[in-house]
Amino acid sequence: MAAEEEEAAAPPQKRFYRQRAHSNPLADHTLSYPSRPQDMDWAALFPSFFPPDAAPGTAPARVEFVDVGCGYGGLLVALAERFPQTLAVGLELRGKVAAFTRARIRALRAARPGAYGNVACVRANAMKHLPHFFRRAQLSKLFLLFPDPHFKRTKHKWRIVSPAMLAEYGYVLRPGGLVYTVTDVPELHQWMLRHFGEHPLFEALPPAQLAAEPLLPLLPSVTEEGQRARRAGRAPNSAVFRRRPDPPAAAP
Amino acid sequence: ENPTKQLLFSIVKAPGCSSAVILGLFFPCSDESLFVYDCSSAEKQPLGEKGQDGKGTDKGSDDILAFAFSPSGDYFALTDDNKRLILFRTKPSWECVSVRFVNRRCTSLVITAAEDKIFVADKSGDVYSYSITEPQADGKLELGHVSLLLDVALSADDRYILTADRDEKIRVSLTKAPYSIVSYCMGHREFVSKILVIPNCPDLLLSASGDSTLRLWEYKSGEEVHCCQLSTICGPQATKPDQKFTVSRITYCCQGGYVAILCDSIPTVYIFQLDATARQLVYKEQISLKHKGWDIAFEEMGDLWILQEDKEAPLLLYRACDGQWKAVTDDKGLQKMSKYIQDNWTVFEGIFMQRMPGSVEHLHEAM
Repeated sequence: MAAEEEEAAAPPQKRFYRQRAHSNPLADHTLSYPSRPQDMDWAALFPSFFPPDAAPGTAPARVEFVDVGCGYGGLLVALAERFPQTLAVGLELRGKVAAFTRARIRALRAARPGAYGNVACVRANAMKHLPHFFRRAQLSKLFLLFPDPHFKRTKHKWRIVSPAMLAEYGYVLRPGGLVYTVTDVPELHQWMLRHFGEHPLFEALPPAQLAAEPLLPLLPSVTEEGQRARRAGRAPNSAVFRRRPDPPAAAP
Repeated sequence: ENPTKQLLFSIVKAPGCSSAVILGLFFPCSDESLFVYDCSSAEKQPLGEKGQDGKGTDKGSDDILAFAFSPSGDYFALTDDNKRLILFRTKPSWECVSVRFVNRRCTSLVITAAEDKIFVADKSGDVYSYSITEPQADGKLELGHVSLLLDVALSADDRYILTADRDEKIRVSLTKAPYSIVSYCMGHREFVSKILVIPNCPDLLLSASGDSTLRLWEYKSGEEVHCCQLSTICGPQATKPDQKFTVSRITYCCQGGYVAILCDSIPTVYIFQLDATARQLVYKEQISLKHKGWDIAFEEMGDLWILQEDKEAPLLLYRACDGQWKAVTDDKGLQKMSKYIQDNWTVFEGIFMQRMPGSVEHLHEAM
């Protein structure tokens, strides 16, 4: 029993979790997801934040940070260390990659009891399932780090930034919440700037606030993709957008 | 209420001869004429125009995919497999106002209460608006889902636009700011095939899904207030143990709060009544059909029309007497309409071989 536990808690090795980089988000993968946010068992993912002896009437902990396309978990690990009291979830569509990240977090938790209890990875399709997992205005930060550029024009609708997705990001993010984007593909960076810039619910963070953003310097290098880009000499392009207040539901 | 409210059953098309016949029952005014419009006579998009990805425009048929009256009945719009959007005025008499072209084939459309716009939902998940006040104006992209849209509806005051998709979601957005999502009505476990805002309970939304449920929602908050398992209620009549009850038609009558539904492949009309105070749907009774039910429609005053696959009696009329629904046979309108269908039977025979607008059977995920 002890040997099994040890094995389960050992850091995972990437070579056992290789998977093709591109995934079709419009396909019907057999994924499990809750019917509604209130049906999601977050306690199973963050046991240390859902103690059984919690005083009745205490509001349950809620996820606030989401890494869309979390890959091998580089950002999640960094968020765990910098925001230990905030729940962060990484969504990853590729099965083996999600399995790797779950194993990685499990190993980190075993190696340092009391730490990394606030981050978790869920295999999910962010393009289809955001409203299944998250309530309106629940999140304060959303990360889109090195999203798949899906270069071909016919594949543009697979891109994680589109007018349809921006409405969904606007729904799950609270007013004042932030979206962070990083990419080493200049055309994709321009695409994201344009889409967020044109969307009435978002505004680019002004330069002064951008300079003061503590997370920003970290983002280009904290993930696998970012490190790969750096090794290849491709410069990262970052941006931060803020969710503006809701439009008034005025009478027509 | 508008005294000349018309009823529409369905659009039918005969294979080989591309004509579409609209059945309209003008009621109760004395004019009992029938309006016939041949969609194949409407202009087609010029050939040779390339689509967005450089391919030529594909040839469609004249099948009508979606249609709707405006709430007052003054306007009628339809969209077909040739990507046409045709707008009609119905007063003082029916006339075609404009023929426009949509980008992609549509699945549903709705006209605003203000009668200034048509909202059209298409197969790629987008909703476009088309002006009525400027009937030749191009469409404008309003909002988009990631997956195929199956139905679109508006709140009675036009303030909210509701869209239902293949991925179980019902989204509620502000009509004036459609990029702003007010709520999601989450809970269905399969595609959402039909949504209907209850006209005299304007905070309530009725939805039907491939998961064999009818659900009532307080749509502004997204809260589900009632879930009706059709397999439990209608179950005893099931022919197979895993019979699905996929609602293909819903019709509602403010008078009495009656809801009638037709399910794919089941020759029965199920009648419910909405208890607005308790916010529940109460099952009342069923009308068994000897033939496949094709469409159902309530009249304002509460009579229920049923269109069925039977040359002898293609139209049935039912009326509630002391809470029981009974067939009516001596109605002049019924007799006149039935005769028209019988006289033009070859046109209608085509129905039985093609897929009706709104059929969603193919959307059940392969097990």
